[in-house]
Amino acid sequence: MRLVRVINRELRRIAYRPRYLIILTLGIILAFTIFATMTSEGQPKNLPIAVVDMDGTYLSRRVCHEINATSGVQVYAVYNNHSEARKAMQQGKIFAFYEIPKGTYNEVLQFRAPHFVLYVNSAYMLAGTLSYKQLATMGMIAGAAVQREIYRKKGYGDDQIMGLIQPVEFDTRNIGNAEINYGSYMMTTLMPALIAFLTVLHTIYVIARERQERSLRSWLNKANGNALIALIGKAIPYTVWYILLCLIVNFIMFGPMGFLMEGSWMLMVLNTIMLIVAAQCAGLFIGACITDAPLAMSIGAIYSAMSFTFSGFSFPIEAMPKAYEVASWLYPIRQYFLNYTDIALFGNGFEHCWKHFAILLLFLLMPIAGAPLLAWQYKLDKKTHKLNTEAK
Amino acid sequence: MIKILKDIWIVLSIEARRVFTDSTVLLIFFIAPIIYPLIFCSVYNKENVEDMPVAVVDESPSEDSKRFIHKIDATPEMSVDYKCCNIEEARKLFKDHDVRAVFYFPKDFATRLETLRTGRIVVYGDMSSFYYFKAALLGGNNVLIDEMQSIELERYEKAGLTNQEAEIQMQPVVYETTTLYNPSNGYGSFFLPILLILVIHQTIFLGICILSGDANENRYALKLIPPHLRNNHTQRVTLGRALCYVLIYIPITILDLWFIPRWFHLPQLGNLYTILEFALPFVLSVVYFGMTIGTLFVRQKISPMLCFVFFSLMLFLLSGMVWPQQSMPRLLFLFSQIFPSTPGVQGYVKIASMGGNLEVVRTEYMTLWLQALVYFSTATLATYLKQYNRHRKKEKLHKVHASEEILRKLRITHNTKE
Repeated sequence: MRLVRVINRELRRIAYRPRYLIILTLGIILAFTIFATMTSEGQPKNLPIAVVDMDGTYLSRRVCHEINATSGVQVYAVYNNHSEARKAMQQGKIFAFYEIPKGTYNEVLQFRAPHFVLYVNSAYMLAGTLSYKQLATMGMIAGAAVQREIYRKKGYGDDQIMGLIQPVEFDTRNIGNAEINYGSYMMTTLMPALIAFLTVLHTIYVIARERQERSLRSWLNKANGNALIALIGKAIPYTVWYILLCLIVNFIMFGPMGFLMEGSWMLMVLNTIMLIVAAQCAGLFIGACITDAPLAMSIGAIYSAMSFTFSGFSFPIEAMPKAYEVASWLYPIRQYFLNYTDIALFGNGFEHCWKHFAILLLFLLMPIAGAPLLAWQYKLDKKTHKLNTEAK
Repeated sequence: MIKILKDIWIVLSIEARRVFTDSTVLLIFFIAPIIYPLIFCSVYNKENVEDMPVAVVDESPSEDSKRFIHKIDATPEMSVDYKCCNIEEARKLFKDHDVRAVFYFPKDFATRLETLRTGRIVVYGDMSSFYYFKAALLGGNNVLIDEMQSIELERYEKAGLTNQEAEIQMQPVVYETTTLYNPSNGYGSFFLPILLILVIHQTIFLGICILSGDANENRYALKLIPPHLRNNHTQRVTLGRALCYVLIYIPITILDLWFIPRWFHLPQLGNLYTILEFALPFVLSVVYFGMTIGTLFVRQKISPMLCFVFFSLMLFLLSGMVWPQQSMPRLLFLFSQIFPSTPGVQGYVKIASMGGNLEVVRTEYMTLWLQALVYFSTATLATYLKQYNRHRKKEKLHKVHASEEILRKLRITHNTKE
């Protein structure tokens, strides 16, 4: 009954001032649209690269054509000297360039191996790596084609030729993202992480707002002074809303957008719910403990700004200093990410991920720890109020 | 002229007092830009994954496969922690995340090599992070190339080619690769320059928004402006405020964009003068951008912090470093140019990581000055409009008061007459 009263009060407050809920929801939708349109092709297409053709012969032009035919990259320009290409690279106009030195054609005529140099700009992580990969593959294929021609003329069979050109090969199977789709790699963790820390901040915000409006007393009065019930009641409307949002986002990603979902949907739904609830518990704890509203908000912001790093999806936690591995336990998104890889990418069942669920459950203790502090503040507030009224 | 300077000075000192008396703003202006780079730099200090655990399944034990496994173990990227008898065992390790890649030598590996055909190795890679994938790919490829050459040489000898002929045959074209600007291809060298610019952008922006929220909440926004500047010369107000923030951020910019990259051995080819010259329009445009948004939209002191992390993430993704600008949809690219962080990040990376000068980053430099100019006008306009509205409201109130006063007086006179 007390709980219902608090929820009722909170709903009324939201209805009275729905601005921030609307803004944040629109923000999530905007972020989702931007991610989805940006990464809709899976990998960046048409990466501009260049060729420095110092040879200027039939052969070098052939190479240009060949590069143009390679998927993923396109020849932005053909330069005559190294410095021009280098400058274009510095300006970010191209991500890589091939340099064909002078006298290449002559060397080929004399049966000597010509030297091609490939320069790659790796300051742009993704673009540099991808253009390198495409160009290196192209180089290998082109080289192999030359070799094959020679062997064929010498009278070898095709199977033998392959054995000579490439004695060992890798058959790579990328578990969890077969076609290396960057969209599925980034969005599946970034979107829930975004919603989770907005939940944290919003929870802190609504509590901080009570403090600023000096309505702490009326809020806790609705719960008959029980701080825990007051906290839970305050959180529930937002819990429902953000769980709903996160579930919708996940359904869109794993449904129509076709990102890999190997395991059970039920576990993923549970994972999502636990993520939001745990995030909210962290928010409730910070909100209840820190009495100064701006300070509580800044601590919330500092805490959540690190959540992408400590989810470990971009850069693995194992490669960080040990202390940060411990710090990552403070973030529900870390457990969510581990669960997500287990469930969606590896198709593992509950027996694999129960540990992470258990850690997420531990977050539920946070508001219980924060409640006595809030109760104490409430008592203090009541006392001063009483004194004030008596004084009047 | 002296009057203008004096006005600017007055505004500046008022603003500085506000900054230095607000603990939240102090935290954001002076602690955050130092703490964040330090934390992030130490987090990403290792740059790459080292000694990633892998498992091997060797179903055709031979000299070749053994040598191969040894070489994999010897790479800096990987260490062979498990040798499994069958693929099922390896799969279990893989599913339990005990290993991040599995190298599987099928039964026919040795026989294929003996019969001079292509031996096939199956690699299972964990794609939950690209760094696992990268480590397996990079380390594996190095071993592969090394192995290939020794096997190839053997085979050419068998095929009756001399050594020299064989070498030419092996590589009809020699490809050399030079990786520029981030030689180890590490995450830290890539991410941290972006982070440094974003930290400056976000702390200025957030601090200014909090200050305007504070002024609005406590209803002393009007009092902050000297009375004679309230109705005209608003540009002096915005100039004075901006000067205050720019002065505060000069040491922070030098620290963040110059000293910290040096301490943590990030790629740093630019010189201090170029960086500072580039940072000036950047800081200015961020300041005016913050003032515009703060004056127009911020009503509460704590609400900017609600959107802050979200906004940072968006700026990071739109900066064109994650997803190349050339591959972005046109509309998104134009949208990203609204924010000073986009040209800021692009320009700073080109200067600091790639050793460019101002001529190289001319587009970004000009964009930043243009943004500074546009946001200066919008900030001035917004401040002016706010003053004007306040003033009118006040006047209206005044008029109401005045008419009430007259009515009251009339009533009094009426009463006394009666």
